[in-house]
Amino acid sequence: MTSLLGDARTGKFADNLTGFGRTLRRAGVRVDAARMALAQQAALLVGLERADLAAALEAVLVSREQDRAVFRELFDACFRNPDVAQKLLAQMLPSAPAKAPPRHRPRVSEALAPIYAARNAPPREEQKIDFDAAMTASDAEHLRHADFNQLSASEYRLVERLARDIPLPLPTYAARRTRPGTRGARVHWGGALRRAARTGGELLDLPLLARREQPLPLLVLVDVSGSMERYARLLLAFLHAATAPGQGVAVRRDVFAFGTHLTDLTPAFRHADTDAMLAHAGRAIADFAGGTRMGEALAQLRGQHARRLVGRRTLVLVVSDGLDTGEPAQLERELAWLRRRSARLLWLNPLLRFDGYAPTARGAAALHRQAHAMLAVHNLERLQDLAASLARLVRPPN
Amino acid sequence: MTTAAGSIDALAQALQAEGYYADRRLATAAFLALKLQRPLLLEGEPGVGKTALAQALARVLGRALIRLQCYDGMEQREALYEWNYAAQLLHMRAAEGQGQSVEAVEREVYGSRYLIRRPLLQALQAPAPGAVLLIDEVDRADEPFEAFLLEYLGEYQVSIPEVGTVRAEATPITLLTSNRTRELHDAVKRRCLYHWLDYPERERELAIVRAQVPQAGDALSAQVAQFVARLRSQPFANAFQRAPGIAESVEWAKALVALDTLVLDPEVAVDTAGILFKQREDVAALTHELATQLLAPEPV
Repeated sequence: MTSLLGDARTGKFADNLTGFGRTLRRAGVRVDAARMALAQQAALLVGLERADLAAALEAVLVSREQDRAVFRELFDACFRNPDVAQKLLAQMLPSAPAKAPPRHRPRVSEALAPIYAARNAPPREEQKIDFDAAMTASDAEHLRHADFNQLSASEYRLVERLARDIPLPLPTYAARRTRPGTRGARVHWGGALRRAARTGGELLDLPLLARREQPLPLLVLVDVSGSMERYARLLLAFLHAATAPGQGVAVRRDVFAFGTHLTDLTPAFRHADTDAMLAHAGRAIADFAGGTRMGEALAQLRGQHARRLVGRRTLVLVVSDGLDTGEPAQLERELAWLRRRSARLLWLNPLLRFDGYAPTARGAAALHRQAHAMLAVHNLERLQDLAASLARLVRPPN
Repeated sequence: MTTAAGSIDALAQALQAEGYYADRRLATAAFLALKLQRPLLLEGEPGVGKTALAQALARVLGRALIRLQCYDGMEQREALYEWNYAAQLLHMRAAEGQGQSVEAVEREVYGSRYLIRRPLLQALQAPAPGAVLLIDEVDRADEPFEAFLLEYLGEYQVSIPEVGTVRAEATPITLLTSNRTRELHDAVKRRCLYHWLDYPERERELAIVRAQVPQAGDALSAQVAQFVARLRSQPFANAFQRAPGIAESVEWAKALVALDTLVLDPEVAVDTAGILFKQREDVAALTHELATQLLAPEPV
């Protein structure tokens, strides 16, 4: 492969850098024109020494930790020093064994594909669009009491859509941020001054600063083991839609899926579109429909993401059936930690649909002991209750 | 600008003279931040030297270090500016009887002496050669706060309605740090250069320990650097929840010196585990047996 770096003396560098920028964009690294201009300047400042150039371009063009590996592979591929001798040899002896192409991660290969133009681009997957028949009121009524677990695929999609439309007003707490008002704990001096100016320096009344109401930060832990597969998808879709930033004040959402280990779904939740979120989540979760080892997953949460639990005011929703195959003692310990660190630990349990359900499985027993409350989430009516239950169960701290 | 910012090497050496051992990639990023006058966003595990870089840069460049520690719920009045309202009110009452014109009173009330400057404004108004502004742990502040930063990060200016736009007298060198408890907004990132700080390799860590704790003997420093480097690497890293940072290894070396340790042995390592680890489980995880393994000579 020819190098994109070319020879600085021929003035090709700018073109090649632009090409590199395009390649990065194809790989999903967010690079805009302003960045590219800055990269140009940076390259002029540090010179064309390879390691320096790599460091400089990385500082300018990468802005997320997870993009670094992609950047480095692409940089190596695009700015490989032209090995003239090797190329000549290849021209003279067409049978000379070419170096095996390096193995790249899929994102990198995809971005490089147009450059390795010899290969045919793989045909794009056609997006299939299914139209659901409009639902009559009685259908909706029927679904309301149906169990998600027993829905056919198209019904399931309808339920998903319904679930998106149920508003979920999250409990709030008094944030440190303030807004001016007629009641509050502190004097709004700025406002007082402006009013006094209107009345010739006379303070007739004191505007006050009240603390803003902010929804409690939300930490959702979704069980994606085999027994929970459908609920997990539904609950994710529901929570994603119901806590979208468009609905009033932005909620801090941290979302993890757990089965045999922990997957951070927070990036997936940044998609505005629920289907895009589900697709992203589906790609991210490696242990979908596997077993459950909740204790280990929680230990991972404590070790790596403990700060996602903001100041003991986080509302933790554990969506699980409590059928756990891990070590019970560890699960108990980790749940106790989670309980201590959160405002409320709520267990959303799909198995509650069975009359006379008792949390006898070891995992379920631990969850039952540690959770502040257990809520049923097995049908739509219950989802509507969830909002009410949240308000009742969660007395905001302070 | 001082000669330290003349080239990547010069900057790296100047930082080293201040006791900060930057690898070449970090030095390149810092060099570009100085030359391109862009804020530099540093991310990395706690204790890898994000804050220390700002301190060292300030000393190298002979600039004052202004630090804005972020926290949940931080507001504009704690980061940018606030009026001294009580004093303004007093002034207005006092001016009332003196028959001054409205404009004159207004000018004085919103004069600079009633303006309380918070770190961002201080950094903008710092006299030449300007300041080094450290916006520490941006991820702790909530998302609305990031919006306050945009004007500063992009244009090095802030707008105060009563005064107008305050532009930087000398462009402040700006560093942002984040422990990545949440992803920062793209708008902030677009305005910054970015560098991810890794734990240092063993030689660099050794150099840092030697420089910070000169009382420690060569053998002890080398052992400390090796012990910590192996702690952070597989398979040992799995046994712990949080790997010790550079600050911890330096503290540990100091403690070992205070205990008159000449050569590390598993006994001492276990006894002093509370300096390396700040979590009960991790302290307990460093058993005598594990410490013996960590101190064993490297398999060739």
